[in-house]
Amino acid sequence: MPALAILQYELGSLWSGWLVRLWLVAAGLFALLSLAAAWGQLQTAVLIGSLLFPFLVFPWFLIVILLGISPVTGSRLDALADGILCRPITRYEYLVASWAARVLTVLAVFFLVITPCVLLGTFAKRPVAADAVTWYGMLCATALVSLVLTFLVSLGFLAGTLLRRPLVAAVVLIFLWYPINFVLHTFSLEEFSPISLNQALPTLLRTPWREAPGSPDRKLSSEDAEAMARQAAQFLSVLSGAPSQPARRDSGDFFEQGNYEDFSFWRVFLGYSIPTLAAVALATWCFCRRDL
Amino acid sequence: MSLAICTEHLTKIYGGKVIAVNDMNLHVPAGSIYGLLGPNGAGKTTTLRLLLGLQQPTAGKAEIFGQTCGVNATAVRGLIGFLPTHPTLPGHLRPVEYLELLGKVCRLPAQVRKPRLTSLLRAVGLLDATDQRIETFSTGMRTRLGIAASLLADPPLLLWDEPTAGLDPAARRFTLDLIRDLGQTRTILVATHILNDIDQICDHVGVMYEGRMIFSGPMREMKRRLQRDEFHLEVDGPAEALPRAVEQVARLPGVLARAGDPHILIVAIAADASRAAALAKILELVDAAGLTLLSIQSAHNDTEHAYLQLLQEDQAHGFRRFEFPKRRGADAGAGDSAV
Repeated sequence: MPALAILQYELGSLWSGWLVRLWLVAAGLFALLSLAAAWGQLQTAVLIGSLLFPFLVFPWFLIVILLGISPVTGSRLDALADGILCRPITRYEYLVASWAARVLTVLAVFFLVITPCVLLGTFAKRPVAADAVTWYGMLCATALVSLVLTFLVSLGFLAGTLLRRPLVAAVVLIFLWYPINFVLHTFSLEEFSPISLNQALPTLLRTPWREAPGSPDRKLSSEDAEAMARQAAQFLSVLSGAPSQPARRDSGDFFEQGNYEDFSFWRVFLGYSIPTLAAVALATWCFCRRDL
Repeated sequence: MSLAICTEHLTKIYGGKVIAVNDMNLHVPAGSIYGLLGPNGAGKTTTLRLLLGLQQPTAGKAEIFGQTCGVNATAVRGLIGFLPTHPTLPGHLRPVEYLELLGKVCRLPAQVRKPRLTSLLRAVGLLDATDQRIETFSTGMRTRLGIAASLLADPPLLLWDEPTAGLDPAARRFTLDLIRDLGQTRTILVATHILNDIDQICDHVGVMYEGRMIFSGPMREMKRRLQRDEFHLEVDGPAEALPRAVEQVARLPGVLARAGDPHILIVAIAADASRAAALAKILELVDAAGLTLLSIQSAHNDTEHAYLQLLQEDQAHGFRRFEFPKRRGADAGAGDSAV
């Protein structure tokens, strides 16, 4: 019961705050504008990819990180010690409940914004060629984006716990996350970069259930899709100061293939879920050893 | 005598630099109202946080009703009602919501939680403020809400840190009366530097100084330590009568006398003399001198004097404050003689 009480309390606090409310409104408007702008131009898979771009890459990752940072930092820590942690509840219970509240809030905003737009873009009659988006693909794509969002919350959670001051934690995380594509490229881990993930989403969205990855049907079929993906990559490269993505060649490397044939859902899934669990575990371990 | 709180060699050093609690042995008898007294920075709040498991001791151990305190000792925290100084409370909640949350955290079932929180709000006089958010509360209202929160789970031990800090006289009176009432059914530890509060409500007292417990025991024992050989006699009468009375009183064996201000006769009685007998003679002389006795007072507020005396003694002891641990076995005899 204590953990559930904390979960309800944290959810109530988050939804009564201006940050989540403003984010919900802004994200909803942004998604509707994106949908309207791409209505007659992009095929369904690419359209969904473009709708997910703000969550996956920019700018909503900032909000997600900020939401993750707050539970055990700054003045909240005093209120926490005075009001809650001096009661018969373990720090582990408190941390897990407050982390879960943040993840639920972020995912709620994500699904509230994305679901109507995706359904509209998928089932409405639009003046573009039909696309082979599958339910399985949609499920995988939203699951992956949800996982990335969960990872970002957990990263914020860890930074907030370690650095204690929310402003410092936010600055550190922004400086860490902006050049992440460049860092991952350096270590040949482009598959896990949010930009690469966003570029691979159209392919994933067309993946049918029980069909082996690499099927010709899944190949990205439209030029505008590639253009959109390249544009997003270029945009982030400029923001992060990372070098621009080179022109694609016909080699077998993941990042240089236009069709992302070797994209592995499970590899990426594990690539994000393991660090997520590690971040939560490390944050809990640090917090349990801290003096309040 | 069963102990509600027992610490042994409790030590807390922050970052290897600041010694907040220094080898402290605290024994609080069950059922007592214990005043933890000390100047600012003496380590009172740190001690309470160590007991609550909010901080981890660098060395030593602490027990509440025989159970060891620690970060994960939820059972111990279930026995404690904690009131911090100027409690930081979630401002966006209303009092009922806040107490409801704490009731759930304390694992109270709804049929117990709901009636208790309403009766507590009534008891602390916040029934009219239930529709206000906590952020709009004054210091006194926050303290009263903090008091209600500390009593919500009906714990056998209350740890209240500076409960009268920042309160107006009426709120302070309310809090002190409440402590006295609650002390009839549970153990209360009040940490404060306000001597008058301790004097009014506590039956046991501990004095902390520079992280160390320099006195712990019954209130009476602390007052007994005071050298009460000096009395102030407030008198009224002709101006020339007071010097005459001073001269006559000073002739009494074992008595020193001097005039304070024009209406005060200060007498000091030697430790080996009978105070009652000496005072009786002094009063006779005062009467014979044509002075009217208005009041007799001990030289200072007892508790304040005793407290300041304890601090002065501790400072004067210098290196002798260090206690060598007793050696065991063959070295025991030699070890007893150290310092």
